[in-house]
Amino acid sequence: MTLQNSVKRAAQRVLFYLTIIGPGLITASADNDAPGIATYSMAGSTYGYAFLWMILVVTVGEVVVQEMAARMGATTGKGLADLIRERFGVKVTAFAMFCLLLANFGTTVAQFAGIAAGMELLGISRYLAVPVAALLVWLLVTRGSYTRVEKFLLTLCLASLSYVVSAFMIRPPWGVVLQQAVTPAFHFETGYVLALLATVGTTITPWGCVYLQASVVDKGVTPQKYRYTRLDVVTGVAFGNVISAFVIICTAATLFVHGVQVETAEQAALALAPLAGPWAKYLFNVGLLGASLLAASVLPLATTYAVCEAFGWERGMNNRTQEAPVFYGLYTGLVMLSAAVVLLPGVPLFPLMWLSQTLNAILLPVLLVLMLRLANDPHLMGAHRNSRMTNFLAWGLTGLIVLITLILFTAPLWQAGAGRTY
Amino acid sequence: MPPIFLSEVQKEPVWDTQGERVGRCVDVLVRGAGQPFPRVCALALRAKADAPPFVVAEQIGWLRPSILLTTDRSKLSPYEPQGDELWLARHVLDRQVVDVDGRRVVRVNDLQLARVGDHLCLVGADVGTMALLRRLGVERPARALFSTLRRQPSEAIIPWEDVAPLQADEPIRLRVSRERLGKLHPADIAAVVSDLDRRTGRALIAALDDERLAATLEESPAELQVAVLNHLEPERAADILEEMGPDEAADLLADLPDQTSRRLLELMEDEDAADVRRLLAYPEDSAGGIMTTEFATVPEGYTAGQALDYLRRSEAAQEDEALYYVYVTDASGHLKGALSLRDLVMCAPDTPLADVAETDLVTADLYTPQRDVAHLVAKYDLLAVPVVDEEGMLHGIVAVDDALDAFIPTAWKKRLPRFF
Repeated sequence: MTLQNSVKRAAQRVLFYLTIIGPGLITASADNDAPGIATYSMAGSTYGYAFLWMILVVTVGEVVVQEMAARMGATTGKGLADLIRERFGVKVTAFAMFCLLLANFGTTVAQFAGIAAGMELLGISRYLAVPVAALLVWLLVTRGSYTRVEKFLLTLCLASLSYVVSAFMIRPPWGVVLQQAVTPAFHFETGYVLALLATVGTTITPWGCVYLQASVVDKGVTPQKYRYTRLDVVTGVAFGNVISAFVIICTAATLFVHGVQVETAEQAALALAPLAGPWAKYLFNVGLLGASLLAASVLPLATTYAVCEAFGWERGMNNRTQEAPVFYGLYTGLVMLSAAVVLLPGVPLFPLMWLSQTLNAILLPVLLVLMLRLANDPHLMGAHRNSRMTNFLAWGLTGLIVLITLILFTAPLWQAGAGRTY
Repeated sequence: MPPIFLSEVQKEPVWDTQGERVGRCVDVLVRGAGQPFPRVCALALRAKADAPPFVVAEQIGWLRPSILLTTDRSKLSPYEPQGDELWLARHVLDRQVVDVDGRRVVRVNDLQLARVGDHLCLVGADVGTMALLRRLGVERPARALFSTLRRQPSEAIIPWEDVAPLQADEPIRLRVSRERLGKLHPADIAAVVSDLDRRTGRALIAALDDERLAATLEESPAELQVAVLNHLEPERAADILEEMGPDEAADLLADLPDQTSRRLLELMEDEDAADVRRLLAYPEDSAGGIMTTEFATVPEGYTAGQALDYLRRSEAAQEDEALYYVYVTDASGHLKGALSLRDLVMCAPDTPLADVAETDLVTADLYTPQRDVAHLVAKYDLLAVPVVDEEGMLHGIVAVDDALDAFIPTAWKKRLPRFF
């Protein structure tokens, strides 16, 4: 083989990889959207490096769950909502779609809260910024120009890399950081339990699974080429969570040590001050806006698509409004209603961003149980059924979330009990 | 008897003549899925330990208000599934099917059964919202709500003869689908297939005969073309490419990896392969890349009558898809003139072609960009533009639809009314 030929071969390999890669990376980048940054900033500034172990847990959880979704897409060639409907019938589907809608509505609200908080940092009123952003997102998606701006928004997301640079400039005690990262800790305290749930909910999202599986199907990944997709999923998740860890390290090193618990976007931006000084808030803003706009475009669309797929309604942007009334109605409703919630007078933006993520986590087990049953179905998955390890980890994760949720809801009881002993 | 819905039968208890419960109905089996009214042949039960798992149709008395048998449980005839039954709950309910009449992909929310003559038959698939509400157990309140709002709930029941049940890995359903979808226009098949998940779509398309498959591929987006072709045996893929117009075949081959397209070209018949190779030499968005080499010519010096005789016997004219224009060439293939088929037919048979043919022609050269060709088509109201080289040799023609692809991608073309 001549040199020219082998170079050509290699180039083809790379090109092939580039066409396959993507869904995993986009899904993982969305980990660091407005609710994500808010959750990690809040957790890092309130609990310090001791919170890092949770990142390790959710990374493993995210790899397991997303790999399962991607594998189902590659094996069956169908979307998650499609599979749920065909396997479990109308009632279960209606319940699952209700949960998905609720969780994704919460997260879309959080994206607009992120846009509002970011623009208010720049002195622009949310009553101007949010309606404009909602209209922009709606137009981008319905007019089909979304793909043209996707890369631009993804580039803005790279601003989150500044947390990595910032962390190295702060020079935190790396020994302590690493040691804390692998040491589990737990506090029986409502705030802490909420923080744990928000972290799970913002990292392992219901919409992430749905979106990833849909993209894998859309790209036409076959079981033979699935290994490239798995690589994409794992690298994407690793990349996203390394950044998440650095957000916690930065906020712990700059805010936690001074006893500042982040409650506003302005405080959260301070974590980038070691890198950017007075420009920190602009840097913070670029990342926040990019990720929020990206997620606010993709998320309601993925949700609407899944719901219409489950119930067999006409869907897709290649239909006209009259041909797909439910599709356009639901999509428009989701965007507009989410934006409207943020505009309610007196809504605290920053808590809204991260608290919405606990809802994600609480609803996630519904989807996880259905996914686990599908991924173990021999008729559906054949030789690509879940391995024992996957089942063990995924059921473990589901159990863990249910346990934490139970602790949260029974907290008033045992806190009252604990109060009495004093 | 009013129609019965599968959802009203599913999970209902089954009683024998003694008033004893035999089990619960879990599924309804029908045979002859290709007929307009397939007959119910058995009920599948989740039976009590000593009862058989199936009840044959002849022993069913009533399905509603509750399922009553005509014998007692000790006299139940055994039923052995033959393998060609359609299990309605397992195979059809909640799945996507094609509404052949409406030419769209829909999801089956419920199935309608009714007595046709002496037999209980499957008559239709309910794809309406009311069926969803029925299965959620809120049909009554929903109907009450509709009537207070003075609105009619939209009923959407597709007669079974217009339903193409789909399943990639099942020969029976695939055969029914192929027969029913075969009646559609290739452009509609292409639209339906791109609405389906890939695997089902590919299986469906691969089940079509060569000619129909080739026509459907010509109407499909590039991605789907590549996916389907990769899925076929190389020999069959080569046959399909021969059936396609050389211009479409060349476009498709250009989208495939080099190795694959070379292999397919070797498998194709020499003549077809040569046509395609010639086209592949030009950039994809130039006149040379989009032209077809199948066009009708007549030698100069003929009369109109001779020309028509010549065309009837000419192989090139046979292959010309549309035959909008007839091109006049000299012995070595230089373009000398052109006239529309209409003009040729309408003039007297002894008129010399030189009198009726247009000689001042609008032409494109091999490297004219596709957009410029489209502008020529629009500006001069042409149905096809001849493509010539510097010496005036006629190499091919670009038909109006291929030129317009520059502005209107194939997927959108189906929206436009058909002119030809």
